[in-house]
Amino acid sequence: MNFIRTLDKWLVKIEEQILSYSIILIAIMVVGNVISRAVIGSSWAFHQEVSRFAVTVATFMGISYAARKGRHISMSAFYDMAPFPIRKALAIIIPAITALILFTLSVFAYEYFMSLVASGRVTTAMQVPVYLFAMFVPIGFVLGGIQFLRNMWVNIKEKEVYLAQEKKDYS
Amino acid sequence: MIATMLTIMIVLLLLGFPMMIPMMAAAIVVVIFFMPNIDPMFLVQQMMEGISSYVLLAVPLFIFAADIMSTGKTSKRLLDFVGAFIGHLRGGYAITTAAACTLFGSISGSTQATVVAIGTPMRKRLLSVGYKDSSAIALIINASDIALLIPPSIGMIIYALAAPRVSVGDLFIAGIGPGLLIFAMFAIYSFIHAKIFNIPLAPKYSWKERWKVTVKALFPLGFPAIIVGGIYFGIFSPTEAAGISVLYALILELLIFRTIKIPDVPKIALSTGLVTSAVFILVAAGQAFSWLISYARIPQMLTETVLGSDPTALQVLLIVAIFFFIGCMFVDPIVVILILTPIFYPAAMAAGVDPIHLGIVITFQAALGSATPPFGVDIFTASAVFNKSYLDVIKGTPPYIVMLLIASVLIILFEEISLFLL
Amino acid sequence: SEEAGTDDGAGAADDGTSDDGAATESQETYNWQFVTEEVQGQVQYEYAAEFADLINEKSDGQINIDVFEFGALGSEVDQVEQLQNGIVEFAIISPGFTGGMVAEGQVFALQFLFPDDQEVTQEILNTSEALHTHLSGMYEAHNIKPLAYFTEGAMQWTGSNELRTPADFEGFKMRVQESPLIMRSYEAYGADPSPLSWSELYTSLDRGVVDGQENPIFFIEDASFHEVQDHMTISNHNNYVAMSTVNPDFYNGLPDDIRALIDETVEEMQPRVFEMQAEMNEELLDSIINNTDNPTEVIELTEEEREAFRELALPVRDFFRDEVVGDEGREMLELLEEEIAAHE
Ligand code: NA
Ligand code: NA
Repeated sequence: MNFIRTLDKWLVKIEEQILSYSIILIAIMVVGNVISRAVIGSSWAFHQEVSRFAVTVATFMGISYAARKGRHISMSAFYDMAPFPIRKALAIIIPAITALILFTLSVFAYEYFMSLVASGRVTTAMQVPVYLFAMFVPIGFVLGGIQFLRNMWVNIKEKEVYLAQEKKDYS
Repeated sequence: MIATMLTIMIVLLLLGFPMMIPMMAAAIVVVIFFMPNIDPMFLVQQMMEGISSYVLLAVPLFIFAADIMSTGKTSKRLLDFVGAFIGHLRGGYAITTAAACTLFGSISGSTQATVVAIGTPMRKRLLSVGYKDSSAIALIINASDIALLIPPSIGMIIYALAAPRVSVGDLFIAGIGPGLLIFAMFAIYSFIHAKIFNIPLAPKYSWKERWKVTVKALFPLGFPAIIVGGIYFGIFSPTEAAGISVLYALILELLIFRTIKIPDVPKIALSTGLVTSAVFILVAAGQAFSWLISYARIPQMLTETVLGSDPTALQVLLIVAIFFFIGCMFVDPIVVILILTPIFYPAAMAAGVDPIHLGIVITFQAALGSATPPFGVDIFTASAVFNKSYLDVIKGTPPYIVMLLIASVLIILFEEISLFLL
Repeated sequence: SEEAGTDDGAGAADDGTSDDGAATESQETYNWQFVTEEVQGQVQYEYAAEFADLINEKSDGQINIDVFEFGALGSEVDQVEQLQNGIVEFAIISPGFTGGMVAEGQVFALQFLFPDDQEVTQEILNTSEALHTHLSGMYEAHNIKPLAYFTEGAMQWTGSNELRTPADFEGFKMRVQESPLIMRSYEAYGADPSPLSWSELYTSLDRGVVDGQENPIFFIEDASFHEVQDHMTISNHNNYVAMSTVNPDFYNGLPDDIRALIDETVEEMQPRVFEMQAEMNEELLDSIINNTDNPTEVIELTEEEREAFRELALPVRDFFRDEVVGDEGREMLELLEEEIAAHE
């Protein structure tokens, strides 16, 4: 159990670093290109590709982090109004099905990744393999699925309703 | 197939699933059970495609800049400056918010970026002077709509490409009338709303006090000046302006005001990343969903059914309005315009609709759809950025929806509103 | 794609009305998808639409082809992957968008390679062994079967200042696609090539973020770039070449008569599309010239003026040979150069 807790701590750290530096990387690329073009008159051929890479990484690696923090957007009108037993049941069923969908998507994402590996295609500007862009997608879905399973578990274990592992339902 | 898809989506949506799940679950079920020849990995291809548009980069960058400025002093000083001049007027802050959204939207061309960049600081101020959060957010997401109508509008550029022989310049001019019409409606409403709810007025500032606040706001005022000037004088594109605003915010807060330190930057970026991911995963899901619908040629099937033979101009425009409105509830307006315009264009021309007028109706409905429940990227963005529940975000929208529907009817019925400047 | 020609893709959409996919064996109907990189009124889409009509007619309604405009199925690269997978049976592909996979396809980005005369160029595109054997073979190795190569028109320059000599490109910010080869081509003229997203191009030209761009005439007019540019140069510096392609597994699995029908129609389309693009580009060039609201000064390069650019463009072929492709590509270019020389 201790091992898992340590692993989890590291995982959060890594997720945070990845999310944070993806955003900083986008800013550096866009700003750097403007300055380079305006000052030395030459654009960065790679700035669009690197930005696209960073956006993809942030989006898919963020699934799990947003799930941990309960920041995924949902329409909670019915959920909020439901009486406690139903809300409790939903708090278990929703993350369970969500995890199932994310795991399914991770399989598709892995297949897509493998198809890019097989094609050997490289990007136009940087000439790096395209599969690098798709690499984080299956990982993001798997981590996201695991996190939703934990959101489910916390609701099975605890009495109260948790919107996410780290976010109790206040109502 | 359509029935299965809709049922899954509505049920999961109402139960309160994270919003990407209704779309992706419906897509997965449809692909597996109804479209055996489609390799489901293409859903992932399209999710990645959905977030790869360069223009979308403006969203995380403006969120980042706004996060930096609200951590530090910039946004407060800017708002103090605005308040010193309009705080004593009835509905002044609300009207200023609408105006700021309109102006900023015209620069960034993106409704989502406007929600973030103007919404973040203005919402705080609206709350502090006594507005309910729901009215503040509703004002912000709806005023950001106007962005798509004021040049340079990305929506119009895309329409011009999809519609043969339409001039982007003419569209830009034609958007001004409707844009101002909606702004006027919002301004009048803000005035009446402030009166009815008796929003307290701030004391009027003397010119001496105004001068003091202005001096304090000098550096922050460089922010809009650099953005507008930089785009106007062709130093950078609208998306690049979002990056420059990050740079300027960092220079102010790190070097000049010294309110944040280097190690704070990754922390702020983390919160930006969290919000970006929550919104972009929905943009991604929307693209996968729209790809499936396009592949199955559902828009064509539906339009053939509803348009019938020989529709009148008014009928075509109404149907166009409904289709774009619904489409943009789910998917990014740019994608919807690209997919649906060619489907309707020939019928509209046959019915004698002016192509510029059609473009304005389409752009307007696209903007409207992205701010309207249940799906709407602006709502998602507001929910993520302001960390408010979905319901809190949409609670205050009904008056705006009524106004926008009225505007939409006027714009459809009277093509002069769009064409009078041409 | 393994059971080619069954009522698959689009048929699935109709499932609401028909009970069962088991179609009658005797009168088999085909439903195919044809995706293009352009929209209605542009060359690729009109090609595909006419191709679909012809096939439908010839097969007495037995073959139905749905034509997809750009945007419906994602980006150009997405479309290529969908063709390779057999989700769509036919696609029109610009070799430029497959440069990361078949680098040799970038040969069409080389400036001043093909003859000035468009008809001769199309003749080479129709008959070249370098293209039909060498290049097509490289595509087939990636599960893409090119059926034909055609020009959508010559590429032209637009700019905020007149572009007549290489000196005019000095410090000129030229918007290009993200390709190193194209960037190298404009660097050779002394320009500052700037990769910029298409969706921001109109505004960026208007405001001067970039000074100019290249495209065929029909596209310049359609995207209204002439509205925000004062000058246009009929440079004919290369051709926008596209390929009509088919998924090879699907194609090889078809009955002989159906395959023959496709081949025959592809052949018939070649003169048609040449005429189509010529008419479109001519008509829209007139419309740019006659647009008094947004006047655009149009000049045409003389032979000597083209020569100055040709000289600077020649070393870019070395870049293509040394940095972009391998031995196969070098052989292909050599053969193509011979074929072109034989036509001059
Ligand atoms: Na057009
Ligand atoms: Na012009």
